[in-house]
Amino acid sequence: MSGCRFTAAKTVAEAVDSLVAAKGDGHIIAGGVALVILMNEKLLQPSWLIDISRIDELKGITVGADRTIRIGAAVTHREVARSSEIAAVYPMLTEMASEIACGRIMNRGTIGGNICLADPQGDPPVAMLALDATFRIAGPGGKREVPARSFFEDLYVTALGEDELLSDIHIPAPVTNTGTAFGKFAARKAMDYSSTISTAVSLVRDPNGGGIAEIGLGLGGCGVTPVWPEKTEAVLRGRKPDDETFAVMRATLADEIEPIGDSLYSADYKRRVAGIILTRTVKMAYQRTEGASQ
Amino acid sequence: MSVDITLTINGQRRALTVEPTDTLVSILRDRLGMTGTHKDCCMGICGSCTVLVNDRPVSSCLLLAAQIDGDAVRTVESLESKGSLSPLQEAFLTFGAVQCGYCTPGFLMTATSLLEETPSPSRDEIVEALKGNLCRCTGYKKIIEAVESVANA
Repeated sequence: MSGCRFTAAKTVAEAVDSLVAAKGDGHIIAGGVALVILMNEKLLQPSWLIDISRIDELKGITVGADRTIRIGAAVTHREVARSSEIAAVYPMLTEMASEIACGRIMNRGTIGGNICLADPQGDPPVAMLALDATFRIAGPGGKREVPARSFFEDLYVTALGEDELLSDIHIPAPVTNTGTAFGKFAARKAMDYSSTISTAVSLVRDPNGGGIAEIGLGLGGCGVTPVWPEKTEAVLRGRKPDDETFAVMRATLADEIEPIGDSLYSADYKRRVAGIILTRTVKMAYQRTEGASQ
Repeated sequence: MSVDITLTINGQRRALTVEPTDTLVSILRDRLGMTGTHKDCCMGICGSCTVLVNDRPVSSCLLLAAQIDGDAVRTVESLESKGSLSPLQEAFLTFGAVQCGYCTPGFLMTATSLLEETPSPSRDEIVEALKGNLCRCTGYKKIIEAVESVANA
């Protein structure tokens, strides 16, 4: 006997009630592709598992007539990757979800689970930072909203309270002349986990003069959390995407981020790689804006 | 606490009482004696334990049996029918795509799912579909060729 309780929640309210009753000892499980690793490694022996993978309220992708996007927290990476509606609005999200781990993980792993895990190498958080998404969170007092840009607090620590869960993700619509792209550097094409660098870019091209009017960035593998590099964003605003701009961007980025060195790559190496991948991703996003010369 | 679930495993309905923390691979191997599904890294990295749940490949080492009540599971044991191997299994033998055999059930189930969804995949699509499965005898070329031969048959 494991002595573990199990609740197959049918509604968000039931999941929240279980979290409250568990008094901080409840663990939300959706796809399980991260949580069960911890269990297999004996790093976690849960006393109460609350399964949210079959809650209808947490399912579904909705793209509004105004092109805003709502993604339920229990939507799988596969569903995001295969959504033609999402691809039509933000190709970056399709690129991001298509390169997560591999098919059998994409079939179970959820976007909400990945965001709440808050792994510094996770890809969905990086995209959410660049797109300035808002997370809707359910708790005993009802729902509240937290911007992605203030959600990731420390290594595996988020703004979620112990009796709260992420219910859905809201992504604002792109304005005219927006281009997005996702970049990734990994030693192994599939399943790389420890040493990836990822870069998400959403930018708006100024139709008069062709400079970068507005830009949102997100970075993976560049710190203890998914990183929103405000200073690097600031130096790109109002500039043309030329070699000089990218040199300034890379210098600012190298100062702003603090990657963690590991058995494969040192922190300094990751700094350099992040600059190179970000340069490529910004160029790609710019090329995708309407009217950009190829 | 125990959880009562029903799974359809290779077409056969099974009523099971499981612990919430039991993974599908442990139920298959240790409870039901179905050792065709191999257990290796237990971190979702290697692909050895790949089975199909509702026709889609998943890592059975990271899937809690309690979470899939009512679902249909297919393992490598389902590929053989009436004592005959499936065309994909035959192709693995013909092309020498099996060395130590540890990774083989995972590759077979991943490729089975690919061929059901995309009957004539390109070589690139085969490589993409198999990218999450590791073979440490490094027989990838022969594995890809075996799948390709069935795809073009």
